[in-house]
Amino acid sequence: MQILLSGQLLFAALVTGAVYVLVAFGLNLVYGTLRLLNVAHGEIVMVGAYTSFWLFTLAHISPLISLFAAIALAAALGAAIYLGLVRRLFASPRLLQRLEANSLLLFFAFSIVLQNVAALLFQPTPRAYQYLDRVIQLGNASVTENRLVILIVAVVLCIAIILFLRLHIYGLAIKALIQHREAASVVGIDVEKVQLLSFCLGFGLAALAGSLLSMTEQISPFMGFPYTIAAFVVVILGGLGNLVGGMVASLLLGVIETYGVAFTSSSLRSVLIYGIFILVLMIRPQGLLGSRMIVR
Amino acid sequence: MTGKLLAGAAFGVALALSQASFAADPVKIGFSIAKTGLFAAGTGSQWDTYQLWKDEVNARGGLDVKGVKRPIEFDWYDDQSDPGKTVQIYEKLITDDKVDLLLAPWGTPMHIAVAGVLERYHFPMIGDSAASSKLRDIKPGNIWFTTAVMPDRFAPAVAAALKANGVKQVAVLTAQLPFSLEVKSYLMPALEKAGIPVKVNEEYPPAIKDMTALLTNVKNAAPDAVLVFSYPSDTAVYMKQARELGIAAPFQFVMIGVTDDWFLKQFGAAADGIVTMGHWTPERKEWPKGKPFFDAYEAKYHEAPDYLDAALAYMSCEILEQAVAKAGLDKDALRQVIATDTFETINGPVKFEGVQNVITPPGLLQIQGTKMELIWPPDFATAKFKPKPAWPAN
Repeated sequence: MQILLSGQLLFAALVTGAVYVLVAFGLNLVYGTLRLLNVAHGEIVMVGAYTSFWLFTLAHISPLISLFAAIALAAALGAAIYLGLVRRLFASPRLLQRLEANSLLLFFAFSIVLQNVAALLFQPTPRAYQYLDRVIQLGNASVTENRLVILIVAVVLCIAIILFLRLHIYGLAIKALIQHREAASVVGIDVEKVQLLSFCLGFGLAALAGSLLSMTEQISPFMGFPYTIAAFVVVILGGLGNLVGGMVASLLLGVIETYGVAFTSSSLRSVLIYGIFILVLMIRPQGLLGSRMIVR
Repeated sequence: MTGKLLAGAAFGVALALSQASFAADPVKIGFSIAKTGLFAAGTGSQWDTYQLWKDEVNARGGLDVKGVKRPIEFDWYDDQSDPGKTVQIYEKLITDDKVDLLLAPWGTPMHIAVAGVLERYHFPMIGDSAASSKLRDIKPGNIWFTTAVMPDRFAPAVAAALKANGVKQVAVLTAQLPFSLEVKSYLMPALEKAGIPVKVNEEYPPAIKDMTALLTNVKNAAPDAVLVFSYPSDTAVYMKQARELGIAAPFQFVMIGVTDDWFLKQFGAAADGIVTMGHWTPERKEWPKGKPFFDAYEAKYHEAPDYLDAALAYMSCEILEQAVAKAGLDKDALRQVIATDTFETINGPVKFEGVQNVITPPGLLQIQGTKMELIWPPDFATAKFKPKPAWPAN
């Protein structure tokens, strides 16, 4: 019982939740605004991780600096894909009807291309490096610095995003687009521009996650897929397109993964996560925070 | 007359050319490997080793085929991590591409999958990156396995090493994957026989991202040894969180990933003292081919070879090379030589009985500083087991 009250477990739950927030947010944003299922999301995480890995290994640039390069690179990639491919999906009404299914196929292909290009360019062997890996004492918990950084960035990001969506003109526009696409264009929102912005932002956030995770995980061309799955679980739990719901779901999953396992057994980890997932789908198919509270 | 002379000269030139091209006719060696899909991340060192061996042999003038040196040419395909596709590829390599020799694909499921093809076409192949006691169920004759870590031989070796190093109680954590569960199934009776009680015995899914609760239990039980039958991603999770929690057991065994290049790069000083599965090291003087292989690999790829897969892959190439030098490319002769001869490899002599390598003993490696020392079995050890020093704080 003592273990349940330990700071160590609380820290573990928060860090796990933070990783889920970072990974899932971009996916949710792109789905919310564009109704596109980006199954290549994990591969953008991978691109971010490689960017930081190479900049650190070749030029000793801290991942906390190279993460900006990773965000820029992924956003540029996002812009290219949006302008080159995605816009075509929106262009014809016939294609628009099958948007979600088409986007699934498009991004699935894109994920395979990215994985294999990375495997050809960098070899499939996993890689890693050491950065900020001192263990420090925080109350009664010992924490590795890089995991603490992940937690801090996730918290800052959550606050920044909530403020952005509430206060900034583009944030409000994104919210409007998530709530009602047609109405948004009627009230004068430049839908095209907002879509491009959130698409690039979604890609950039995935790369940010990858950049941070490169400090703690092994980097390989195939590292992305588990993150895509994790992000989908979070997003569906929180409600598709519900950004705050996604944050709550991330934290919930972090808690289940650590406290649930502590209560029961580690062999039940997947049973617990997917059990809750199925339960939520059955009881609240619209996600935990429901459809009425789309964005706060 | 001039015409005849010209024709004669042309014939002579043609003959000389054809003889020259015969002497340099490449030996076509086929294999498949997972370049994409689920296993691709694990196959890099085997691929690199095959390429290194090919380059080395070609630099020496070619593969010695019963006294005639012929360059090696690879004919390979991506099996996309799919055993079904692997079967199709090996069938194509044998019947359509008509390769002279075969190298092994990557991983136990692929080896088991191609065994039937080899049997059907009576085509001999030396396996490398496969380990499971199920391999013994394969009909011997056309496939052999270089590995020394068959679970039923490896697990008793672990128990013996624990006992010899004074371990009184252990914690066992096992990833829910076939090989790790198989090792565990042989380990439990071996530990009981050795009189070593198991204080914590937990299994976890390989996708685990946090082991805090699990490792808190281990810490509270304070065993002398922690045995983690893990795969690369959970290996990393264990290392990070065991360090955070300060797991102080002097004997900490972590199964897969430790011998890969990324491990030391990610964990540095924290890796010192970690024990892992393996039977090869370049440090052993009695295996004189080991160090040159290590150096050549490092020079070519700027990283250390994987002590498991790269070593096994290179051993299979060495055995094939020696067998071809003696038997040529005739399949029956080749089969005979592989099944009966003893081969000199980077891991010492290798001899097969049935499908398995009966000379190389299962062993344990330990990271000591930045070196990978063989600490078990005692007869082969390059260093004594050293209790794991405290985890570095920075």
